[in-house]
Amino acid sequence: MNSPNLPVVSAETRLSPGELHSVVFQRAALGRRGYDEDQVRHFLQYVERELVQIFNEKAALAEEVSRLRTKVADPAGGLPATDAHFAAVRILSQAQQTADLYVADAERYTRELGHEARMHREAILTDAKNRAERLMEEAHRKAAAIADSAVRQAEEAKAAAVARVGETAVTPHVQGHGQGEVLPEDERRQMEREIAYLRTYSDVYRTHLRSYLEALLRNVNEWENSEQASLRNAPQPPAPGLP
Amino acid sequence: MDPQRLKDNFAQVAQQGDAVALFFYSDLFVRNPHLRDMFPIGMSGQRDKLLRALGHIVARVDDLPTLVPFIQQLGRDHRKFGIVAEHYPQVGASLIATLQYYSGSDWTDELAEDWNAAYSLVAKVMMEAADEDALSSPAWWNGEVLAVERRRFDIAVLRILPDRPLPYLPGQSVALEVPARLRHWRYYSMANAPRQDNSLDFHVRLVDGGPVSSVLVCQMQVGDRVRMGAPIGTLTLDESSTRDVLLVAGSTGLAPLKAMLEQITRRPQPPRVHMFFGARTRDALYDLEELSKLANEFPWLRVVPAVSDESEGHGFSPFLQSGDGVEHGTLPDVVARHGPWNDHDAYVCGPPEMVDHTVERLTTGLGVGRERIRQETFVDTQR
Repeated sequence: MNSPNLPVVSAETRLSPGELHSVVFQRAALGRRGYDEDQVRHFLQYVERELVQIFNEKAALAEEVSRLRTKVADPAGGLPATDAHFAAVRILSQAQQTADLYVADAERYTRELGHEARMHREAILTDAKNRAERLMEEAHRKAAAIADSAVRQAEEAKAAAVARVGETAVTPHVQGHGQGEVLPEDERRQMEREIAYLRTYSDVYRTHLRSYLEALLRNVNEWENSEQASLRNAPQPPAPGLP
Repeated sequence: MDPQRLKDNFAQVAQQGDAVALFFYSDLFVRNPHLRDMFPIGMSGQRDKLLRALGHIVARVDDLPTLVPFIQQLGRDHRKFGIVAEHYPQVGASLIATLQYYSGSDWTDELAEDWNAAYSLVAKVMMEAADEDALSSPAWWNGEVLAVERRRFDIAVLRILPDRPLPYLPGQSVALEVPARLRHWRYYSMANAPRQDNSLDFHVRLVDGGPVSSVLVCQMQVGDRVRMGAPIGTLTLDESSTRDVLLVAGSTGLAPLKAMLEQITRRPQPPRVHMFFGARTRDALYDLEELSKLANEFPWLRVVPAVSDESEGHGFSPFLQSGDGVEHGTLPDVVARHGPWNDHDAYVCGPPEMVDHTVERLTTGLGVGRERIRQETFVDTQR
């Protein structure tokens, strides 16, 4: 089923503002096909207000007609009891419609506010993820560069040492293990490189992470303060007890 | 009573739409001001419900076998609103006055008699069903909040203790009312199988602009009170079946399926169970930790979490990623990937689109007949 949950309206009945108010369009699939959500929402609001207006005008007209009818039927005038009743019903109806409109407006307001907050939250999360990704990349780049230079230094030092050894004498120790030393030497170099990499990586990452977390903490504090301030300004009405 | 005359008259009156219900309630409250307190401040939803119920009844007025169960349920449902026998004649008088007003010069004594007869019958059936229900269960249960867990900024898990045992089948739901939103009842499923201590778990997701869900998620505290109506719902475990079980839950649609899963754990010989739990993003898999625990405990249970709106990985380089087994894709796709599901009973609950697509995939190519699927969606019932 791909249609929105349009109200079930049989041929004889009319679409009501309430039904229109509760229409929910399904989310467009990834890739954002479909109508612009804001436009659809605004249009629905417009139609809802129009409907309310039309119903109000209609009720007023019907009232007028029945008033005129009574007048025609009873030229002597006066306000019979039924007229008083209908007048009361009409006043109450208008009050109710005003209340309904306020409730709908309030609901719409919180809905839009909630929607915006949600979007905001998602934007902040995406931003944080991107930052984290950049941090990791930077840490990786720096660590790799330092590891490379560490290996280069080690090689230079080794070349110097070999040169020194060649100047003096070839010891039996070196002779005896010459063949087997190639692998451990490679491994050692590899490990040196890895240690240098990891040390630098963790240094860079730690620094960035600390400053980022501190910034986040500041954000949360600000948020908390502003929430408390707003709660102080707008005290909750006392909740009525259960019957 | 002439059914066709009733239908024709109602069709004529119903053309005035919302105005009819508006007149009805205003007339009712002018005659009986004390009744106003039984309704919420905003009445537009209430008017829609009234017109829909009236339309439903009038359309079936000559089909009593279908109509009577509907009216009986209506009578039972109205107990929690505090409706008692003395209210029925008052409602009837305003209903007739409304119909007369909108029929204008077409109103006749015969029509008045027809409507009186029809309403008396409806009221009688409603009252009898309510009275019978009163023999076995209270009009409502009072509950106290035992625990509130905010699992995410917009999802909370509440534990509520009813003031007396509230018997239900796992998968069923109750209407909830909170003191901060009196007269607003919303249906939520129990997320646990019945316990010795009678406590009930509810999973609530905040719906933007929803007056009740926002209170449940953001404001509830331990010790707060709620009211609950009688349990309803047909999304329950087929206890007669020995087939393996497939549970597909989207977001807080998990609640009834988790209750059924708990029920299965109590069987001496549980079937093999696959539970798929999906959400848009990883942080919305609010109950994954507990489900994983269950999956570790029971060898016959496999839990597959799925996210639809997040790419593989979450911003960190591969060696920091936990192997949490979360799969990527919409629930219908992920369920299909693990199929086929021949010889399974399937239970599906979640947002309408997810439920529709999952059921469609299961019945076309994944080997599950429609008669083996039980489903439920949450729409505007949980706002």
